[in-house]
Amino acid sequence: MENAVEVDNLTKRYGDVTAVDAINFRVKTGEFFGLLGPNGAGKTTTIRMLTGLTRPTSGGASILGRDCVRDTLAVKQRIGVVSEATNLYNEMSAWDNLMFIGELYGVDRSDRVERAKQLLEAFQLYPRRNDPLAHYSKGMKRRVRIAAALLHRPEVLFLDEPTSGLDVQSSRLIRSLVREFNREGVTVFLTTHYIEEADQLCDRVAIVRDGKIVVEGSPEKLKSSLRDEAIVEVAFDRDTPDFESHLRADPCVKEVSRQGDKYQVRAMDCGIAIQEIVRFVTSNRLQILSINTKQPSLEDVFLKHTGLDAVQVERMELLRTSKAGGQRG
Amino acid sequence: MVNVGDILSGRLARAVLDFFTKGACIAKKDAKVYYFKPQIFGFGILIPAFVYLAFSLGREIPPGLLVPGLVSMVSLFGASSVEAISIAMEKQTGTYELLQTAPVSTAGIVFGKSLAGSAFGIVLSLCTALGAVLLSQSQMASPIMFVIGIVLGSFAFSALGILVAAAARDMPTANISLTALRLPMIFIGGVFIPVGTLAPGLRLIAYLTPLTYVVDALREAMAGPSVALAVDLTVLAAWFVILEALAVVVLNRRTQL
Repeated sequence: MENAVEVDNLTKRYGDVTAVDAINFRVKTGEFFGLLGPNGAGKTTTIRMLTGLTRPTSGGASILGRDCVRDTLAVKQRIGVVSEATNLYNEMSAWDNLMFIGELYGVDRSDRVERAKQLLEAFQLYPRRNDPLAHYSKGMKRRVRIAAALLHRPEVLFLDEPTSGLDVQSSRLIRSLVREFNREGVTVFLTTHYIEEADQLCDRVAIVRDGKIVVEGSPEKLKSSLRDEAIVEVAFDRDTPDFESHLRADPCVKEVSRQGDKYQVRAMDCGIAIQEIVRFVTSNRLQILSINTKQPSLEDVFLKHTGLDAVQVERMELLRTSKAGGQRG
Repeated sequence: MVNVGDILSGRLARAVLDFFTKGACIAKKDAKVYYFKPQIFGFGILIPAFVYLAFSLGREIPPGLLVPGLVSMVSLFGASSVEAISIAMEKQTGTYELLQTAPVSTAGIVFGKSLAGSAFGIVLSLCTALGAVLLSQSQMASPIMFVIGIVLGSFAFSALGILVAAAARDMPTANISLTALRLPMIFIGGVFIPVGTLAPGLRLIAYLTPLTYVVDALREAMAGPSVALAVDLTVLAAWFVILEALAVVVLNRRTQL
């Protein structure tokens, strides 16, 4: 089968609010696909409709050739779902949670014992398999949750913000193992607001804004679409209030923004932008502490298509991290 | 939705087997996770014990009335408490979503949960019945029918607990709503006062509650098999089916946003 996921005009409305607005996309079998977007863009609603947790208002979707609404149980049997909240039974051990979920998916006892051992070893949790989940850290619980979603050998794995609010070690382990399972043939559908994560992992991404897909393609292809612009980052030895207005006056310069102690200049031509910066430095007797040219990143693509600026994205991520931290334990 | 093709290809048999197997799996998990919660002890055991003692101490109650009343009440509180707490907690902690993403229908989830709740109610009621019969030296004309009455009653009460918890926003609301429903049921359901002696309006309400049929079925079973007993057991089975179906509808509405 060429496409593991096919989505046609999928729409979800809550009263007057349209959470997902007639989106269309395909995920190829074996692909690592990422759905990116700011909070409230419709990522989670999309994943909930695909996994049978929410009924679409109109449009449809199929997974592995089966209709998500009409054939929901058959679809659920062949997919694995990891929602943003780690929803496992804290009273039970990691082992008992896995045994319960395996039984619920109809996995034979001998197979689920063998598979649970294999997964808990891969996720570095086997020595603590008999501890109640209540004694686990958030990162460990998330690892158990992903192991649980993989126990019945799903063909498509849905991950909703899998590393949100986790420590670096857990995040790295999760990313590397999910990549490994993808290499073994599992199609992965990831939603994340960590743009770097999507850039590292995904073969293809779609960016959603206000319930609509605004751009879709491989990370490299999307980045290359911005190659007609150059980015120069420069830091001076002292505050320069006129720098932004001076540079903006140049028709070659698209945007100037301050990021921490640096300025970021987006221009159509790198050479002209640097000449303009040097001219400003000379006339104002400034000293350049650092100057770098940058290739556009996936974050730049994200910013361009979501209409957010870098500060808003940074704030959004900080808010989400502190929220996740509050739920820890 | 079942179609003729499914029946012919044997899919229906597999679907039925799958329904019961997954139901049993959910029931086992619920027993492990929820049977020993302190709320179960409080709402399922302590409250009925105190209510019964408050109304029976110092009064001469014949064994033919005492045993069915006490056992019905234990069944009501035991069976309904487990699943009220389980559904409310699963919704609150997000584990209900884990069940929803698995290949099991809402009807399968509700059935599994009613198995766990009713098993708790049945065991508790049987222990209470054994103790009460031995202490009061009562005669039991039809013990098998008595047990069937407990089983059907516990299933109906468990489904009632699921329905109330499905409709409630959180656990405190579920517990309060269920207690507000169970206490009046005790007073009009024939536990302390025979239904026949109630005012006509109250009698009508009494016949609209499952507890009335459990109390009556257990009394009839103690006296011996009768037509009234068969009617009681049939009504209880119908109560179970209706409450389960309602619980499925309400859960789907509340959780499939």
